[in-house]
Amino acid sequence: MNAKMEANDVCDLRFGQVGIASVRVRRADAAALCEELERRVRAAPQLFSRAAVVLDLSHFLDLPDDGTVDALLEAVRSAGMLPVGLAYGTSATEALARRMGLPLIAKFRAAYEPADGGSIAPPAPAPAPAPAPRAATREPAPAPAPAPLGAQHHDGAVRSGQQVYARERDLVVTGAIANGAEVIADGSIHVYGCLRGRAMAGAQGDAGARIYVSDFRAELVAIAGHYRVFEQIPRDLEGQPVQCWLDGEKLLVARL
Amino acid sequence: MTAEIIVVTSGKGGVGKTTTSASLATGLAMAGKKVAVIDFDVGLRNLDLIMGCERRVVYDFVNVIHGEATVKQALIKDKRHENLHVLAASQTRDKDALTQEGVEKVLDELSKDGFDYIVCDSPAGIEKGAHLAMYFADHAVVVVNPEVSSVRDSDRILGLLASKTRRAERGDGAVAQHLLLTRYNPARVAIGEMLSVKDVEEILGLSVIGVIPESENVLAASNAGVPVILDENSNAGQAYRDTVARLLGEERPLRFVDAPKKGFFQRVFGG
Ligand SMILES: Nc1ncnc2c1ncn2[C@@H]1O[C@H](COP(=O)(O)OP(=O)(O)OP(=O)(O)O)[C@@H](O)[C@H]1O
Ligand SMILES: [Mg+2]
Repeated sequence: MNAKMEANDVCDLRFGQVGIASVRVRRADAAALCEELERRVRAAPQLFSRAAVVLDLSHFLDLPDDGTVDALLEAVRSAGMLPVGLAYGTSATEALARRMGLPLIAKFRAAYEPADGGSIAPPAPAPAPAPAPRAATREPAPAPAPAPLGAQHHDGAVRSGQQVYARERDLVVTGAIANGAEVIADGSIHVYGCLRGRAMAGAQGDAGARIYVSDFRAELVAIAGHYRVFEQIPRDLEGQPVQCWLDGEKLLVARL
Repeated sequence: MTAEIIVVTSGKGGVGKTTTSASLATGLAMAGKKVAVIDFDVGLRNLDLIMGCERRVVYDFVNVIHGEATVKQALIKDKRHENLHVLAASQTRDKDALTQEGVEKVLDELSKDGFDYIVCDSPAGIEKGAHLAMYFADHAVVVVNPEVSSVRDSDRILGLLASKTRRAERGDGAVAQHLLLTRYNPARVAIGEMLSVKDVEEILGLSVIGVIPESENVLAASNAGVPVILDENSNAGQAYRDTVARLLGEERPLRFVDAPKKGFFQRVFGG
């Protein structure tokens, strides 16, 4: 069953860059929050049960009092998720986080191993082309022009527990993405292999980003924070080449 | 000449790493190679039982790493093959007793002593012990059972082999990856209870170097302290022989991967 994108007035539950869920609370109602999150955990236990969650209070102009925040954190906890911090906000949020003994999380940290042993840091600039062997002259090479950010390429498989992130660009993967692996791009994602893991495009909020997959068996796809979980892959999509895009708030998946 | 270091690893526990380590090491020795097989599963000690040398363990891997014994003193010579040696794990220490420098020293010394192959029997998991067992490897035999959780864990291990090994860190060329499918039961595959060879190969994007059938002879051999590869009459033993031959570069067709044809009574009565 697919967890549907549902508008709900208690909270928004969204995926951040690296798969830490963020709960953006819209109404300081602990009981309603707990009920809503419980429903989400039940719908996709693999994804949300004991998931690390960041509480985002940025919706409130005035922060709720400490007791209420405590109750909200407890609500997340009793729904079966694990609150690990507060989302970065104003100096008041900072003071609140300190009183609560919780970290402030500005950018979500990767809990994954980067593929290829590299770091999750922005991709290194493409290496300058190797000088032609035995160049006739020994003049210093002209300074390389700033290359436009083309797509980032990942050759081969992305294994379970690994993550590939293309910052401020598209991502092209030529191998399979395993269950439990994650590919993320601020732009679009193209997978010329089997997607069994997760793909998140438009990670910085670009709603125009798309995901193209030549063999679709994904656990989750997300665009600009709108996600769809596939506990079971619909028959007509399984193993097919598909495209995912956002239509307003709705994440659509269709065969190519 | 430096020794080729082979790690036998899996992620998931109980899939047949130790069984495989014992049989591969024995098979390589039968092919005339000088082989050491090391138990990295500190705290559990299994390999010496399966190799049938548990009563001759005086010093172990941890003793050597802590300088309490030399490699020579700790190596136990196999009673069947004189070019095969076992380095047992300690049962009394905890996993932190192994250090990267210590492991490197032991491997270097074995290499200098003229060993052709060092087989490292990894503990389950992806923690320190498993990490140390794979860190110095040139080859990895990833043992996988035909079920989803085992395949998932193997995928994780394959990723670690490509990023968390000395070869990966130095950019020395990748660790050679060999997928070994064990406890394969063709009859259960046929009725969809287990993944097929093809399923596993497809999910992991690698072809297998061998398929070891599920066989009662494995347990019997372990209990007798005889690596199953020495049981020539068992399918599992023969499949391990094929696997060793392939590791040494020979081409051999896969055997024991098809369900036996149903007999007359089964055809009549089902089952
Ligand atoms: N091909 C096989 N057929 C039947 N049983 C097998 C086979 N291979 C292994 N076994 C059995 O599976 C069990 C686990 O095997 P083994 O100890 O080799 O696994 P392991 O991966 O080393 O386990 P651990 O993770 O605990 O170290 C043993 O009881 C063994 O006899
Ligand atoms: Mg073992």
